[in-house]
Amino acid sequence: MGGIYWLASYPKSGNTWFRSVLANFRATGDVPVDINQLNTGAIASSRNWVDDVLGVDTADLTQDEVEAIRPEIYRWSVAEAPNELGYHKIHDAFTHRADGRPLVDDVASLGAVYLLRNPLDVAPSLANHNGVDIDAAIAQMGDKTHALARAKNRLTGQLLQRMGSWSQHVESWVDAREIPVFVLRYEDMHADPIAAFGAAFSALGLPENPQRLEQAIAFSQFDTLAAQEEAHGFRERPSGKRRFFRKGKMGDWQNSLTPAQVAQVIADHGPMMQRFGYLDGAGQPLVSPAT
Amino acid sequence: MANLYHAYGLTFASEIELPELALAPDASQPPQVQISLGAVPPQGLEGGRQISPFIWVSDGQFWLEVPDIARFLVRDGAQIVVQPAPSIDMASVRVFLLGSGLGALLFQRGLLVLHGNAIEMGQGCLVCVGPSGVGKSTLTAAFMQRGYRVLADDVVPINDQGMAIPGFGRIKLWQDVADRLQISTDGLQRIRPQLEKFNLPLGDAFCDSPRKVVQICLLSEHLDDDITQSPVTGIEKFTLLRANTYRQRFMAGMALQPQHLQQCGALAGQVAITRVARPKSGFRIDDLVDALAAQMQGAQ
Repeated sequence: MGGIYWLASYPKSGNTWFRSVLANFRATGDVPVDINQLNTGAIASSRNWVDDVLGVDTADLTQDEVEAIRPEIYRWSVAEAPNELGYHKIHDAFTHRADGRPLVDDVASLGAVYLLRNPLDVAPSLANHNGVDIDAAIAQMGDKTHALARAKNRLTGQLLQRMGSWSQHVESWVDAREIPVFVLRYEDMHADPIAAFGAAFSALGLPENPQRLEQAIAFSQFDTLAAQEEAHGFRERPSGKRRFFRKGKMGDWQNSLTPAQVAQVIADHGPMMQRFGYLDGAGQPLVSPAT
Repeated sequence: MANLYHAYGLTFASEIELPELALAPDASQPPQVQISLGAVPPQGLEGGRQISPFIWVSDGQFWLEVPDIARFLVRDGAQIVVQPAPSIDMASVRVFLLGSGLGALLFQRGLLVLHGNAIEMGQGCLVCVGPSGVGKSTLTAAFMQRGYRVLADDVVPINDQGMAIPGFGRIKLWQDVADRLQISTDGLQRIRPQLEKFNLPLGDAFCDSPRKVVQICLLSEHLDDDITQSPVTGIEKFTLLRANTYRQRFMAGMALQPQHLQQCGALAGQVAITRVARPKSGFRIDDLVDALAAQMQGAQ
């Protein structure tokens, strides 16, 4: 049976790394897959995807009109290719239409992997990606109305993506009732990649293949991805001269955030950080999250 | 009482007022297309085939719903029935009638329809194609500012002689593009009251007679700061024309594919095609206009 698996995350949480391992796992070559050819399927907010299925330009619709139509698009895409599996990246929060139907459509969706990263490490990475200072990134992560591609005075490459705050984004996906969600922490991908990716791929219905998994992880090492970006660029990188693959470390917040910034992130996201092991029992941040 | 309009080389008799279109120059000519208000079945076409959540097709018929805006039934390249949704404004209905509605009609009339814009240059024309959001409309407006005439915006029908058929004298312009090109939107009508996107009448900048397609450019953006151009050759020309056809899905549904493949093949043999990449950050619109104009001169 076909359907869509969503590769969901707040930005800068390891989605590209995950997609690279997935693409290399599904490929058969003996060299790393080109980072510009990951081809794991269009992002959920792709304007071209929706335009094609809809048959009219979403550019002539309001954001609300487009949002109301999106579940139909995913359902149709699956009905049209009933034996195909799609692995699509998504940054939208798990939201519902006014009639209660999930944006990602529960009939079209087979499930999701939700990639989660310590918000203390997301903040500096997001600041770099957006070309803003860390305080602005922290403010964005705390903004309950935050959305991507929200401009109404121009044609945005992608459709509006409602994200909310970092905590809301996490909660929307990990507590989604309509589709199964496998939660994968970035830190676990680092600590034991074989176990972490292996479990996630199993949740994605992929066949077990330890040899290919090992190779796919090796082909997706940070240095390899960064070297590819250095040599040929990366089309998902931010505009300007900034790198997409920056450090790919965990616990880097200790060097890049001030105590006040750490306190702000904890004030904004304490309960969710506690839930996923990023704070100890006393509410203090952990460098290696609890298991 | 229907008004008579002229667009795409056709005379339309329309019960719906279409201020974006020019009135027909000769009211004594019988219209080729009737546009009427009427009932369009709500659940698609009986005995037809559904090709998308909101599109059905059957022999000579094309049914389209734009939820909460209107349903359209396009028949035999000669008739469009429109049923507006309750309480929707007519500007919104016209946007989709003049876009996908006329697009389907032009397919039914046997034309190759590309998704792009056509600019008159010398004795011929340049057609720019590319995905939504790559800057085709910005480029068209910039050409217009430089004194070039525009044949068509967004929907470019091409006949069997390789001539682009002029559409109607307006382009759709986002506020942001207008600002960038210092075009005032004061006094311009919004294409829909809900959108910050305007109808810019072309006036004398509309080229109202067909022009031979000499050059097609596939516009894309890249991460570098320069503008690059590379010629497309061989089978790739054909592939590219197919991929940049307006609403490919319509044609597949209407069983027009064999004809379409033949048209793409024929056009590929007649025109020069170039990939043109512009910087993703910083449009460099003036340089792009210069580069395309120079290239066109070389092709003629």
